[in-house]
Amino acid sequence: MAQCVQSVQEFIQDSFVPMVAVLCSEDAEKVTRKNNLNFAELVRPFCRLTSEGHIRDPNNMVQPVKNLRISVNNVVTRPTPGSGTLSPAQRRLLSEVVLSCQPPEGGVANVVTAGNYDLNFNDRSLKASAPWYSAWRETLLELSTSKLYTVTTPWFEAYRENFLQSMPASDHEFLNHYLACLLVVSSSEAVPVEQFLKLSQEQHRIQHSGEYTNPKWFIPNTLKYYVLLHDMSEGDEQRADAVYEDMKQRYGAQGCYLLKVNSRTFSAGADEQIPDPWSQYLHRNNMHTQVRNTAISTANTNASVDGVSNSLDGHPLQLDAASDSGSLDALDAMTSDPKRGTGGPVAGVVSHGACLTLSDHDRIRQFIQEFTFRGLLPHIEKNIRQLNDQLVSRKGLSRSLFSATKKWFGGGKVPEKSISELKSTSGLLYPPEAPELQIRKMADLCFLVQHYELAYSCYHTAKKDFLSDQAMLYAAGALEMAAVSAFLQTGAPRPYPAHYMDTAIQTYRDVCKNMVLAERCALLSAEILKSQGKYSDAATLLIKMTSEDSDLRSALLLEQAGHCFINMRNPMVRKFAFHMILAGHRFSKAGQKRHALRCYCQAMQVYKGKGWSLAEDHINFTIGRQSFTLRQPENAVSAFRHILTNDSQQTATQQGAFLREYLYVYKSVMEGSEAGLPQLPLPCINSSATRVYFGHERRLAEGEKQAATHVSLDQEYDQDLAAMWCHLEEQVVAAANRGVVPVNFQPTQCCLNSQTDNLRFPLAVVEEPIIVEVTFRNPLKVPLVLSDLSLLWKFTAKDFSKAQDVLTGEATGEAITNEKEVLAPTVRTGLMLPYQLIITLVISHVSSVCNCFGLFWSLCIIKDITLDLLVVRGRQDLEIRGPRLNHTKEDKTLVRHGPDRRLDPIITPAMPLMEVFFLQFPTALLCGEIRKAYVEFCNVSSVALCGLRVASTHPDFFTFGGQATTCLCNWIY
Amino acid sequence: MAVCIAVIAKENYPLYIRSVPTQNELKFHYTVHTSLDVVEEKISAVGKAMADQRELYLGLLYPTEDYKVYGYVTNSKVKFVIVVDSSNTSLRDNEIRSMFRKLHNSFTDVMCNPFYNPGDPIQSKAFDGIVSGMMVQPS
Repeated sequence: MAQCVQSVQEFIQDSFVPMVAVLCSEDAEKVTRKNNLNFAELVRPFCRLTSEGHIRDPNNMVQPVKNLRISVNNVVTRPTPGSGTLSPAQRRLLSEVVLSCQPPEGGVANVVTAGNYDLNFNDRSLKASAPWYSAWRETLLELSTSKLYTVTTPWFEAYRENFLQSMPASDHEFLNHYLACLLVVSSSEAVPVEQFLKLSQEQHRIQHSGEYTNPKWFIPNTLKYYVLLHDMSEGDEQRADAVYEDMKQRYGAQGCYLLKVNSRTFSAGADEQIPDPWSQYLHRNNMHTQVRNTAISTANTNASVDGVSNSLDGHPLQLDAASDSGSLDALDAMTSDPKRGTGGPVAGVVSHGACLTLSDHDRIRQFIQEFTFRGLLPHIEKNIRQLNDQLVSRKGLSRSLFSATKKWFGGGKVPEKSISELKSTSGLLYPPEAPELQIRKMADLCFLVQHYELAYSCYHTAKKDFLSDQAMLYAAGALEMAAVSAFLQTGAPRPYPAHYMDTAIQTYRDVCKNMVLAERCALLSAEILKSQGKYSDAATLLIKMTSEDSDLRSALLLEQAGHCFINMRNPMVRKFAFHMILAGHRFSKAGQKRHALRCYCQAMQVYKGKGWSLAEDHINFTIGRQSFTLRQPENAVSAFRHILTNDSQQTATQQGAFLREYLYVYKSVMEGSEAGLPQLPLPCINSSATRVYFGHERRLAEGEKQAATHVSLDQEYDQDLAAMWCHLEEQVVAAANRGVVPVNFQPTQCCLNSQTDNLRFPLAVVEEPIIVEVTFRNPLKVPLVLSDLSLLWKFTAKDFSKAQDVLTGEATGEAITNEKEVLAPTVRTGLMLPYQLIITLVISHVSSVCNCFGLFWSLCIIKDITLDLLVVRGRQDLEIRGPRLNHTKEDKTLVRHGPDRRLDPIITPAMPLMEVFFLQFPTALLCGEIRKAYVEFCNVSSVALCGLRVASTHPDFFTFGGQATTCLCNWIY
Repeated sequence: MAVCIAVIAKENYPLYIRSVPTQNELKFHYTVHTSLDVVEEKISAVGKAMADQRELYLGLLYPTEDYKVYGYVTNSKVKFVIVVDSSNTSLRDNEIRSMFRKLHNSFTDVMCNPFYNPGDPIQSKAFDGIVSGMMVQPS
């Protein structure tokens, strides 16, 4: 499980805190309303006690109470749905909580080293652009020096906190039943004491009239604490003091309090620096109330038969709300007020506690302290004592009593059968004040005031009783709490009884069918196991809790289980990855796209580049989809690209699906951005097989004329032959230059391929075509269709002056007819072949320039069966790597490649272009035979040709003789 | 018989994975990959000194809802994983063991092939045949 901010003890303590209800008069509500808070909200930030309290247990031993927190809530009498499941509203709330809690972006990534794997726990790996594996490596290198952080999963903690808070009160346990009730009345009231009386009656009515099943109260005589709220800015302070004195007389000094707030007037808004402790509570609160509102409004629509105005009528207390009773309004305030708020923009912008000074804060803090230490703790102490006395006195009686109930329920005669019967119906239910429950009550009280030792023994006894009664729900509750209190005991701790928890979870889940309680139990147990280093047990527990009924819960628990696996002593990285994938899947089912994406990305780190291509494809595909739905199309494209460039092992149909998805996403990216065409991964270009031919393609034969050349694109390269021609050319040049070969001599190469010497820039002539042949390979099993292929080129004009003018293929320049010559405009279907040749021509029209082109345009289409074409345009760079260098020692040790200039020709000014044809050239000769053949030279260029020379390796085989033509030839020997 | 047989290289990438075609291949890939954690755990559990006389057969790695996963590690740390249907109760430990031995022998033959480049995916027909013999025959 991921590391949590709270310690385990703190977490468990905070999960079970004394509950205090609030009833507020209307005027008092007005006072707090000035701060945009109701009374419960007002005191909430101060509910943790900083000082230590004390309590005496039944044996008169003083027990310290440290770091206690109390929970103050408004009374909400709306019944909660069946305790077995969460209401839809609660589910929505939890989902929102998880949704709103995302990992921080751009924060420091946490790296966990697990075995050979370094796992990076942050979104950043995803944020980085494609190919993000390398980006990830970089972040990793950056961070390898910094210390390792353990991972936190704040969304899980938020979920857990909210989940535990939204637990419906149940009959089998008392931990979240109200222990006390604060009655709050404003001092500005005409007769505050009367109001107090009213509120007190109201409370009594709620608790005892039997009208309401909610809220639940701990003990019949609930502690009532009378609070007189005094507004410093308005009221008469002396009068308030007088009323307070009166109250002291009436309720005792420990049963009432005078709380003075709102010291600051609105005009004195100069010092705005007062901290706002409410902000962290109220964000959550807003969501709570919003959810509640929606719940109510749905209730309204259901119950709006009577057509009363909408705002308050869904409420059960509405029955007598027509009267001006302030308390009822107060009861409703929790729900009614945010409704007003939500009518406006959002209540979140409003600052809270605007009328409170720091001394007001202190006063509230003091009030809570006073209330807890003088009111609540003594009350609890008294009740523990009472319950203890009852239990001791009943001890003798209880045996017979329990056996009596057993007889009553089980029929006495055949206990075995009755047990199985009871088991199936989740056991018996006790009446609320049943004597069996008293011990549980006492245990809960002890637990709340942190007397875990006594709590444990009580729970333990209760457990035995419940089990013997086959009251399974009660027994499970007692088991759960017994385990927790055993864990929390300090000093001579007994080993944590994990099997108690397991039994409890199983009972909750299987016998009682109460997933909520089972989940709570599992969360607690997992946390405890984790703190004891039993990660494997915790993981098993969490995985067991996943089920079909809640995707969100399953996702979160699976994720936590995954984290457990990497925290083990021998980190199980692959299990982690697998469970992250499962979690991601459940997240996406639960609509938590970002969490899903994060999970998949984290899992990806494990699968990446390890040869598990099917799994990798699957993850990449999901990442692509999720990124796309989250409007991160760039990430989507790069993820999809990974699927398509891999040597895929997928089936053809699967590949087709991937491709379609990819093209769809790619297209939508293209529509969004205008900046250049992105790279298309398909089909692969075999760039080293590119062949370039300069000049017109010759007609090899025309009638009886036969071109006197063998140079063509398809010609096989022959090393010896090439060397021979080169040698011959050198000789001609030498002869023409009076025996000297010029320094910059370069043998003419019309056709360049991977075997020719491509170190030099080839020469191309203006107005003459350059033919480029590119080889494609389709790595997929589905046919690809290409159309509108064109070559992308860059043109750098090189005046003989320095000024350089760069024109690219797209930018239209005057000098260039921006003709990206298209040779294959026709749609070529069924490009299934491993390779395909496409020839493209480029004609340049400017002289004395250096023309280089390196990019290739391609267009990729997939043809659907339904014949709707998904056309996207993209490009791929045509970068040819030269041969590996192998001369120096450095070259040999490193892998270095020489340049390849095949595609960077220099354009020279117009030159004569000669074509030579043989006529009647013999194909076979007898030894000693002499035959006549004609050679036709013609210049097809507009530039004049002069100084024609003919060279031969075997000059003695030929002789020139003609009838009319003058021979311009000089023989070279 | 087996529903999936996999050979995993020392560096934990798959050399060979074959599963019954009727079922989702991806699932088996995930299962086998995840089982490697258990394999590693089991290997590291054996002391360094004992590594030489280590039993190659690792036994049941873990049961899932539908499958049982068995493991075997050669001395050169090549892993064999066999996934068996949970419902198939007729398979005893001994039979699994002999399946692994057969697989190992065949794998050794593959490695002896001078044209086989160690570390490449296995594409041997003979090996394929042995594996097919051990797989559930699609009926």
